[in-house]
Amino acid sequence: MKPEVTPVDRSSRAPLVLLLLCGLSWLVAGGLLGLVASIQLHSPGFLGGCEFLTYGRMSALAETAFVYGWLANAGLALALWILGRLAGEPLRAQNWALFGALFWNLGVAAALVGVAAGDATGFALLGLPRYVHMILLFSYSAIAVAGLLAWSGRLRLVAYASQWYAAAALFLFPWILSVAHVMLFSAPVRGVVQSIAAGWYAQCAWTLWLAPLALSVAYYVVPRVTGRVLPSYEFASLGFWCLIFIGGLTGGRHLLGGPVPAWIPSVAVVSCALLLFHVSIVLLNLRGSFRGGGIALRFISFGLLSYAAGALADAATSFQAVAAHTEFTYFDEALRQLALYGAASTILFGGIYFAVPRITGRAWLSAGLVRAHLFLTLAGILVLFGSLAAAALAQGRGLADPAVPFADIFRHTRPWLVAATAAQAALLLGNIALALNFAGTAFGFVCAPEAAAFNPPSAMEAPPP
Amino acid sequence: MKSNAVFFLGLFGALLISWACIVLGSNAQLGSQAPFYDDNQGTAFPQWMPGAAARGELVYRDLGCAACHTQRVRRPGLGYDQARGWGERQSVARDYLYQPWPQLGLSRAGPDLANLADRKPTAPDRDDLLHMLYAGSDDMPAYRFLFEERRVGRSAQRSDEAMQLTGALEPRRGREVVPTARARDLVAYLLSLKSDYDYPESVPYVAPGGEGAAEPPRNTGGAK
Amino acid sequence: MSAGPQRDPRLDQAAAADESLMDAHEGLLGRHPDDGARYRLLPIGILFTLSALVLFSGTYLNRYAGHYSASIYNENARPTAGQAAPRIDPLALGKIQFQAVCVTCHQPTGAGVPGIYPPLAGSEWVKGPASRAIRIVVYGLKGDIHVEGHDFNAAAMPVFGQVGGTMYNWNDDRIAAVLTFVRHEWGNNADPVTPEQVAAVRKAVGDRKEMTELELEQVQ
Repeated sequence: MKPEVTPVDRSSRAPLVLLLLCGLSWLVAGGLLGLVASIQLHSPGFLGGCEFLTYGRMSALAETAFVYGWLANAGLALALWILGRLAGEPLRAQNWALFGALFWNLGVAAALVGVAAGDATGFALLGLPRYVHMILLFSYSAIAVAGLLAWSGRLRLVAYASQWYAAAALFLFPWILSVAHVMLFSAPVRGVVQSIAAGWYAQCAWTLWLAPLALSVAYYVVPRVTGRVLPSYEFASLGFWCLIFIGGLTGGRHLLGGPVPAWIPSVAVVSCALLLFHVSIVLLNLRGSFRGGGIALRFISFGLLSYAAGALADAATSFQAVAAHTEFTYFDEALRQLALYGAASTILFGGIYFAVPRITGRAWLSAGLVRAHLFLTLAGILVLFGSLAAAALAQGRGLADPAVPFADIFRHTRPWLVAATAAQAALLLGNIALALNFAGTAFGFVCAPEAAAFNPPSAMEAPPP
Repeated sequence: MKSNAVFFLGLFGALLISWACIVLGSNAQLGSQAPFYDDNQGTAFPQWMPGAAARGELVYRDLGCAACHTQRVRRPGLGYDQARGWGERQSVARDYLYQPWPQLGLSRAGPDLANLADRKPTAPDRDDLLHMLYAGSDDMPAYRFLFEERRVGRSAQRSDEAMQLTGALEPRRGREVVPTARARDLVAYLLSLKSDYDYPESVPYVAPGGEGAAEPPRNTGGAK
Repeated sequence: MSAGPQRDPRLDQAAAADESLMDAHEGLLGRHPDDGARYRLLPIGILFTLSALVLFSGTYLNRYAGHYSASIYNENARPTAGQAAPRIDPLALGKIQFQAVCVTCHQPTGAGVPGIYPPLAGSEWVKGPASRAIRIVVYGLKGDIHVEGHDFNAAAMPVFGQVGGTMYNWNDDRIAAVLTFVRHEWGNNADPVTPEQVAAVRKAVGDRKEMTELELEQVQ
């Protein structure tokens, strides 16, 4: 059996460590911005005097830093790593990946400065000012080149599920971004078609970019840690294609009852229901993760549960009768946090805990920081979702009664929003722990821990007869 | 997945299908939508936004007001929008026809603004809105940076533009608070937000065999 | 063999190598589930779930997609065969038209202004044959007219129909609605006027200048 740290890891250390370092920095920065935004929700005067930090811009800043800073960098790092290892050859075009990573992060930084200055676009998940789109597109494509070369140059003909998901994410995102750029900025469409196109972009960014990056990690780490073949793996491709074909059709999800022809939200409702099939296949395949065993699996199993819960809630709240109450409340925000944080981020955390010792050749610096991060993250997400959902309940009840003024609605939701802020603070602390741990591990600030003692990996358990 | 070409073609095809159905399809239906010409009033609706209002929309967008306010009224029967006086009919695509950057919004931490200038029973006026922006409230931040505090001349007479502020908000003697151009544009935009024309597609759907004829359009009032 | 308990949080041990991962899963794709002629419940379960979701989707779209029409915003709207516009009550529409325009001269009470604008309440021209009333509204009226014994000559009735070079250009629906309204209001219990009647008059008469009382009296 080959050693656990392969030549692929050793050779591709530079771009991967750069991507992870940038990603974790953005995670902390984005967490801080998110914390400020969360405070501003229940204390509107907080930092309100400064134009650059007003809530409208702060929420766009937090979302942009989190998605395009943290999720993108970590997802790309793990996608490249997985594609490289499963291809069996050292990554080619690594300089492309390196420069792509550099310019991607410069672009994100420019985007944040632009949003603070007021150039945010107002579209959900596409808050990037229009002038950074080109640089992000080209730098992403440069990184994707390395990954897609690993896919097409793979030694084995039959690809594994992780490779499909990672290749899909690398291939599709530039198309999605460029189409959105043309239709919303270069030759803007008229009126509400902008909202429809922006909704299509946001749903594609989740279902065709971020979710595949996370699922690629999950499909790789779970069988490698459990040592068992994935049950019902023969249906995995069905689940994959279901996601790819149905994902974009959920575009009208947030336009229920809106100023658009009725067929658009109806198609979205139906697509959200069909996506439950994809989620059931994923859970079927990856149910081995719930048996636990190590930090990575604990994160990943939590992430998969969040993914399933989020998809179920998404489908349930897309029906007219339910949407009349939950639309426009904090429940939308709760579901967004559940998906981006609870599902994508935790799965990526699991992937990072598994990958970094193999990329760097060293075990993590501190067990305490690992456990702290695990506890703070899981507790934080549960409290965040719970408090936002409770706030939504109070808000929905208040909104439904026309006699209740908005000041009263605010008073009723305030305690829950304060709890949500506490959760954000806990999450930030956990992420700081992870960032410090990573910096110490990757750069050996403290005396290097003993060389990682990898158990010799053995053959996978044969599938049951 | 054995063949690279088939795999990537499949991915691309899937994206193409969803884009064509949702985005191109809706653009085909709504992209060439024309204003509705009213024979009686001899004018077409919706009407162009005045210049200050169009600038104000940019201020609205750059301050991110859509983070807390929506601008889309739902139909009667679906929610509480009519009961709160936010609009008598649902917003339709034509309402946003001449808005360069429609700010539909996704969250109602604050009230819906689609018909702010037409709100029943009383619509806010310019001074109300300027005061609200300056003072903020429990649940809305104060946008002091949209205003300028400056010294008054020796004659100690405040300019016409100056805001009437009392109590804790009142500036020191010899100073006045004046809205900047951004504040004026933003308020002009907010005061232009009304959709009081009943397009044929906005008439509420009545199930057949139900209560009888639909209410006729209430297209009274001349051109704005 | 599967991994032993993971003791150290600083290092997640892998139980299987990459090659073994790929090897084990490669053979599964495309494998027929009933190899060995044993039925497994799972593929049937998956097939059932997928079929149920597809059936739900099709039924939902059939009922709630508003026929994929650009002008249907309410997903509950049933696909209506042939019904183009919502039914409008001519009395209500006519009232709105009257109050928007006609009330300036003929007054809200329909009494007109003595000597200047003729009354509509009780007027024989309003209650008389529909074709006369239609002509008055569509083509306007100039010159002397006697209403309820009084003489009116001061003002001309404007042209409301679709006559070339005029301002109002009301379509047949509106003319029919306003006539139905005035023929029903203030105790004038005359028959309603339909858009078809208005269209017939316009077709028969064509384009012309304002009517006079003499010409109207010759119309039946």
